[in-house]
Amino acid sequence: MQNNSLYLIIKRMRTPMYVLVVTFSISILGMVLIPGVDDQGKPYHMTFFDAFYFVSYMATTIGFGEAPYEFTYPQRLWVGFCIYLTVIGWFYAIGSIISLVQDKVLAAQIALAQFQRKIKKMEEPFIIFVGYNSLTKAIIDRLTLDGIRSVVIEKNEEKIKMLALENYAIEVPALVGDIRDPKVFKTAGIHKHNCHAVVSLFNDDVMNLHVALSAKLMNKHVTVIVEATEEEYAQNLKTIGADIVENPFKIVAKRIYLSLKSPSLLMLEQWIYGDPLVLRKKDRLPKEGKYIVCGYGRMGQALEVGLKRAGIDYIFIEASPEKAAKAKRGEKVIVGDADDKKILLKADVQEASCIIAATKDDLLNLSIIMAAKRINPEIYTVARENHINDTVVFKAAKIDRVIMIETLMVKKTYNILARPLADRFIRLMKYRGEAWGEKVVDLLKEYINNNPETMETVIDEDHAYALVRHIRESGEEIPYSILYRSREEWKRENPLLVLYVRRGGEEMLLPDPSLPIQIGDEVLIAGTKEAFEDVGYIMENLYELYYVMQGKECELSLSCKLTFDF
Amino acid sequence: MNLEKVISGFFIILALTLNFGFFYGDPTVLEQHNRYELFAAIIVNLIATIYKLGDKTQLGAVLLATSLVADIQLIGAASIWALGEYVTGMNVETVTAIISFSGGALLANIVSVILFTGDVLKSKR
Repeated sequence: MQNNSLYLIIKRMRTPMYVLVVTFSISILGMVLIPGVDDQGKPYHMTFFDAFYFVSYMATTIGFGEAPYEFTYPQRLWVGFCIYLTVIGWFYAIGSIISLVQDKVLAAQIALAQFQRKIKKMEEPFIIFVGYNSLTKAIIDRLTLDGIRSVVIEKNEEKIKMLALENYAIEVPALVGDIRDPKVFKTAGIHKHNCHAVVSLFNDDVMNLHVALSAKLMNKHVTVIVEATEEEYAQNLKTIGADIVENPFKIVAKRIYLSLKSPSLLMLEQWIYGDPLVLRKKDRLPKEGKYIVCGYGRMGQALEVGLKRAGIDYIFIEASPEKAAKAKRGEKVIVGDADDKKILLKADVQEASCIIAATKDDLLNLSIIMAAKRINPEIYTVARENHINDTVVFKAAKIDRVIMIETLMVKKTYNILARPLADRFIRLMKYRGEAWGEKVVDLLKEYINNNPETMETVIDEDHAYALVRHIRESGEEIPYSILYRSREEWKRENPLLVLYVRRGGEEMLLPDPSLPIQIGDEVLIAGTKEAFEDVGYIMENLYELYYVMQGKECELSLSCKLTFDF
Repeated sequence: MNLEKVISGFFIILALTLNFGFFYGDPTVLEQHNRYELFAAIIVNLIATIYKLGDKTQLGAVLLATSLVADIQLIGAASIWALGEYVTGMNVETVTAIISFSGGALLANIVSVILFTGDVLKSKR
């Protein structure tokens, strides 16, 4: 497999080589056989060496003149013939090399060999992305900034060329291949121990199922993250062992539910995804009145669940009668085009408090919003935006809340891959309820600021050398509050909050700072950048740890040999 | 009948026979060895080598190796000849070197033919 390109070159060069050998040998033999006349007028025969030397420079058209003596006419006749014979041979050989360089099969083989070499050399953990589109591109962008390596498998060669033009901070090896071919996954290094995850975010659920299945069969230890927008596929995916099944519409529905029922949890979730810790106008959906949802597709059905749980009165408008028939609740679904004024009036748009345009057609969503606003200027508008390219238009339309499916998937997937603890934190906090959420938001705002950063770390030798050594050698219990201390003045506390600790199977949300640190703990901390810098030093540097524990500098390097027992 | 086998067999065996033809004779007397025969042996050996290029099988690799050995030895013999003729002058030592180099090539060519025949006998078609 690996040397295919080399074999291909050799095989293709066979005929030109024959031609060269044969033309050279004919010319040399002729030169040796034809008698010449030397400078004294005596007849002579060229030796093989003379002939070889002469033909070598004649054939390559370098040309040093007639040697060793001036030629006779019979010799010149033969040379005239040889020039054309050997030049044709050379041209043919050169032509073959040029056509070989342009050969697509060879280019593909060379690209494949290069890709395999890159995968083989890669020692840090990497993530395989199946399919390269605006969605996966955005995720790879963010991951490379964090120094996480990605590998791309894409069927379309043009897209791979686009990838090559991107200036990623670290190289992203790309493979042209159809994922339905099991060899492709193997080439992409799914067997490697440092293959961390496989991500497949196709719009097509069947494709995602296929990817998940083959990925799990090839390496059952790899984390598989797939998108599934329909419930039956989501179930199938869970059965075959896909680790994380993402449904963007479910996330949207959950967020709508949260903004109606527990805004502080919504605020926390959006904050973890990178937004400021405040509720903006767009997050405050009207809590009363009737909702009109346009489109009873995958998103509409997900929204139905969310709205129902929140106890909101809603009505659907769906253009396709088949989809509308699925609803089985005739009085809640109106069949018709949602941007039609009559249909909107039929749905009581002048009375409704909110309209959600949730079809998969961006332009239709916009025209629905415009039509509804014309009838009821007070109405709260929510629109689904399917493609990132349409952002400008949506901004201009002054919609209260725009739900971007792609961006949502990007943020979510990035979080799972790069910040697994934050992702787990979001999942856990949903069960804690609004009161708990409010408490956390208050704590964050009080101790840190309105927009804290988050940091994830593990208490191990790589990330917390000093702490681990101290715990091992002294056996002393160190509480998490140590991390809060300032390196400038140990009695002062840095703006920090330990949000979540995972210890084996045990999970602790907002643990008390007096909780003793154990080796192997995975920790999610909120705070400021400066505070994180201090945490890093305290965890890794023996002297800094000594200072924040003892309140004084250690004078001799030997005296703080960690046991601190003097 | 496989035309490819005929052609490759032809070149491999011709390389051996030409090589033998040059080698045969008193190793100290250059007059008993024909320079045209050496030239032909080199050319045929080169063609046989090219024929073996690009064969991915195990046998193909060994055949290629023996062929390359024969090439190197024959070209070595020709180079020594040229060196003797134009630089150092011919003496018995040079002549024996030329002939023994071609003898080495002959051994390699014999191995090549044995391998080739073995492969042909093994195949059922």
